[in-house]
Amino acid sequence: MIVFEHVGLRYGVGPEVLNNVNFALEPGSFHFLSGPSGAGKTSLMNLMFLGRRPTRGLISMFGQNINDLPRHKLMHIRQRIGVVFQEFRLLPNLSTFDNVALPLRIMGRPEKEVKSNVNELLEWVGLGDYKNALPQTLSGGQQQRIAITRAVVTRPRLLLADEPTGNLDDEIGYRLMGLFDQLNRMGTTIVIATHNVQMMEKFGHPRMILDAGHLTIEQNKSWIEKKIKDVF
Amino acid sequence: MGLFRDRKLGVATKRQYDLPLDKSEGTSFIILLIGLMTFLGFMAIAASFVLSAMTERWSSGLENKATIEIPAQTKQGKIRTDAQIKTLMNKVSKVMRANPSVKSIEILEKQDIQDLLEPWLGEGSDLGDIPLPGLVSIELMSSSQPVIKSIERDLKSVANNIRLDTHRDWLTDLLSFTGSLQFSAVLITLVIGVTTATSIAGAVSSRVAIHKKDVELLHLMGASDEYIAKQFQRHALLLTLRGAIVGGIIGGAVLFTIPIFSADMATTLVPDFSLNFIHLLIFMTVPFIISGISLLAARMTVLRALAKMP
Repeated sequence: MIVFEHVGLRYGVGPEVLNNVNFALEPGSFHFLSGPSGAGKTSLMNLMFLGRRPTRGLISMFGQNINDLPRHKLMHIRQRIGVVFQEFRLLPNLSTFDNVALPLRIMGRPEKEVKSNVNELLEWVGLGDYKNALPQTLSGGQQQRIAITRAVVTRPRLLLADEPTGNLDDEIGYRLMGLFDQLNRMGTTIVIATHNVQMMEKFGHPRMILDAGHLTIEQNKSWIEKKIKDVF
Repeated sequence: MGLFRDRKLGVATKRQYDLPLDKSEGTSFIILLIGLMTFLGFMAIAASFVLSAMTERWSSGLENKATIEIPAQTKQGKIRTDAQIKTLMNKVSKVMRANPSVKSIEILEKQDIQDLLEPWLGEGSDLGDIPLPGLVSIELMSSSQPVIKSIERDLKSVANNIRLDTHRDWLTDLLSFTGSLQFSAVLITLVIGVTTATSIAGAVSSRVAIHKKDVELLHLMGASDEYIAKQFQRHALLLTLRGAIVGGIIGGAVLFTIPIFSADMATTLVPDFSLNFIHLLIFMTVPFIISGISLLAARMTVLRALAKMP
């Protein structure tokens, strides 16, 4: 699904913020991305949602070598990725409905399908009554839910989320993690950048830990034990 | 009112663009600028039409025509009497009729000459005893050099100082002058086009910069360059159409008003200018041409900015 080989990234002539990053994410996997502030989480996410090209190394996504793809072909790959940004990045002139509908419209889906999908999801995340509201009139938590709903509305093959439950109370946070889990069971590969140790412990998915630009992947012990129990 | 209430309540109105372009700063300025450009465009095109009509009138009216002038004075400076001039005119008329290259002859009477001088001397001026030259207007089969030579030869046989004016010298100067004016009008029209394109490109460029994060967001969601460019194109097109139509209406009104105010200006140099169907058609296409220029400028600017994104 995603393969990073010896990937490095630097901004301008500065030092490398990502240094020799290597990993491979299997289709349908679920990972947490963690690490101290400034470790390069956002930069790694940027590379994964094709917001930047690496300064060195090879990135392959959905079986295609990103380095070799011409610019105009990247948009088809981007359409398979859902992103939840830390700062939400909702469009201020669009209603809740139109913000969520945006990825579907970009993909050119028929308006009937857009309406039914968006309405269904908005009801599910408890924003059915705010369809016509402008984002800036809603609370931080509500805006975050819009951002998450927008990221999942196309049922992306890869979902990247940067602190998606940061502004949410526990109940809504866990509910949305449930939505991510549900999407994951349907085959979506998920990477969630978070500092929330409690949540990482609860859901027990493998962790990608970034420290000073270096990445290590560690399986959660309790999660492995649970998996072994499930098998036997 | 409803829209204002909805905005106040934080309720979104119907989606026009994904990007908040309709609330961008400087929208009124762009509309005003385009309006002025369209107005100037109308004036430049109208000037071009007037100059073209003038050139047409001058050149077609004087084609193969010449004027024979019997000066009011002899070569020695002696004033000729009316009777002497009349005698010379009759002689001239006779030799001209005998020349096979002359198609027609018209002797201008004293009253005709006074009428010709009226625009310069004013209406009802009494010329009294002022000596006037004798004028004979002739139409030639052609204006070729041998024909002109033969006419000059015939005139010399009547009297030494009779002059033949083929109008060529002053007409050539006048036509080249109007030609350069026409060229200037075309140049002004082109400058208007370039200014429109530049100002729209500048405005779109600043909008792309202002909404860079939102444009980036659409790009990261997988929007094609075409999808994003269309939003700016539509925005630029609507702004330009608004400005161009207002500028066009004002320009049209001015063009229709000028003939009313200039009706009293008795001048034979400037022709009566009235719009025909082709002129109207050209004027009506101006706002759309300007809008087309603006659309293209917006498209190229956005595509250039998007090309810098990964």
